[in-house]
Amino acid sequence: MSIVDDTLGALGQALGEQAVAAAERPSAGYHLQAQVPAQELEAVAAMLTQKGFFLEFVTAVDRAQDLELVYMFSQWDPACRVKLWLSVPKGQPVPSLARLIPAADWHEREAFDMLGQVFSGHPDPRRILLPEDADFHPLLRDFQAAPGPAEA
Amino acid sequence: MTPQAMLDPTHTLSEDTFYLNMGPQHPSTHGVLRLLLRLSGERILECDPVLGYSHRGQEHIAQNKTYLQFLPYPGRMDYLSALMFNHAHCLAVEKAAGIAVPERAEYIRVICAELNRISSHLLWLGAYLMDLGAFTPFLYCFDDREDIMDLLLPVTGSRLTYCYSRFGGVAKDIDETFVTGLRAFIKKLRGRLKDYDKLVNKNVIFINRTRDVGVISADMARAYGLTGPCLRGSGVAYDVRRAEPYSVYPEFAFEIPVRSGGDCLDRYMVRFLEMEQSLRIIEQALDRLPQGPVAPAKPVRVVKVPAGDYHCVYESARGQVGIYLVSDGGKNPYRMKWRVPSFSNLSVLPKLLVNTLVADTIAILGSVDVVMPEIDR
Repeated sequence: MSIVDDTLGALGQALGEQAVAAAERPSAGYHLQAQVPAQELEAVAAMLTQKGFFLEFVTAVDRAQDLELVYMFSQWDPACRVKLWLSVPKGQPVPSLARLIPAADWHEREAFDMLGQVFSGHPDPRRILLPEDADFHPLLRDFQAAPGPAEA
Repeated sequence: MTPQAMLDPTHTLSEDTFYLNMGPQHPSTHGVLRLLLRLSGERILECDPVLGYSHRGQEHIAQNKTYLQFLPYPGRMDYLSALMFNHAHCLAVEKAAGIAVPERAEYIRVICAELNRISSHLLWLGAYLMDLGAFTPFLYCFDDREDIMDLLLPVTGSRLTYCYSRFGGVAKDIDETFVTGLRAFIKKLRGRLKDYDKLVNKNVIFINRTRDVGVISADMARAYGLTGPCLRGSGVAYDVRRAEPYSVYPEFAFEIPVRSGGDCLDRYMVRFLEMEQSLRIIEQALDRLPQGPVAPAKPVRVVKVPAGDYHCVYESARGQVGIYLVSDGGKNPYRMKWRVPSFSNLSVLPKLLVNTLVADTIAILGSVDVVMPEIDR
């Protein structure tokens, strides 16, 4: 059984068949995607880690009222890439994966820095790229950059 | 005193621990990286990397510009792999928008990308050895690198922050001068690589500075999401060009150098051997270079990406680049996330530096090969 089918089965068992879908790999760039409820996130991430996946990145997409969180997991060889995603209302924390997967530490800090997503239980929830005293999250759609010297 | 005792948090209040700021302006941090080190004598108890000094908001720029307007920006992230980042960006957009690329253009892109990989590795090689106290290889490497820049300048129009690929092709065809010059360069570099091998690779001072220093196990590499030479130095033969081939890479025979020790020397050797493999790819591409156009008859100005999300991966000199593109069907990307290899590669540093000596920090950081503007974006 290929790693993709195996992972599809395991995700289906954990989350229910309707939450998991095979993606159009040549255009989408990932093999599987699964919508994960926040309370299942740690368990599913632990299961993928157990299967030898590594975390490529964590990010978020601003969808008006909600943030769409994206966790991309991948296998070295043979290739198998899984997108876990969940929609959370802005301002609602989701459990941090940093203690489970060290790679999540910096990526979650970046998602907080850029889009304001709070990860509960993060061991070091500071900003990472912007100055410590920044009071904005620049990748939110309603963020307006201050005019530069040429435009002002 | 045992290492465990030094790590005891109550010990931090004692008189013999202190903080040292390494960077943000430090010659061996290769860009503006600040490492906040807590030391006990020469030994590191804790390391906190402070990032963001060259953050320019590239992802924010991406969502406020059209696809075409954003074209020159990726080369400013990893400025040492500018052609590769440019290539990756074009591949991602072309795949999402369904733009076809002539075969000759794809061959030329691969030739230039591999040349860029060599020039990136050469800069790293020279700078790394200089960090370790050897000045001569630095001058040799920069001499070789200059040859690459001289070759690429007439073709791409720039020396460092290339923007050569266009959607659907490349900006300019290569000519006979380029091909002849490149073949001569391949011959010259093969000779130089032999020199470096003799000069450096068996040098006892170099080996003692790097062997068994900064050991990364394969499990640790997986946990921190390491890719590129940092991962291949830990015994994992993962290379995007082989695992998920893109462009015309399936056409070429090349090996993926792997070392199993996971120390600085192994990461050094992986990069060193990769240069020869890049030369092999370039040679094969030159031999089989097809005729034909290098760009679509009508330049692609307006890119239409159907609503949805797309992910595209690419092997840069430092590891796996991932471009996660979310489109709402509009003329700008709705969101463009750049997963850059150095970001994950550097995240292992705090763990790696615990209980090492300050002098080894330079050997370890150099062996990870980070480019700060790539991390900060």
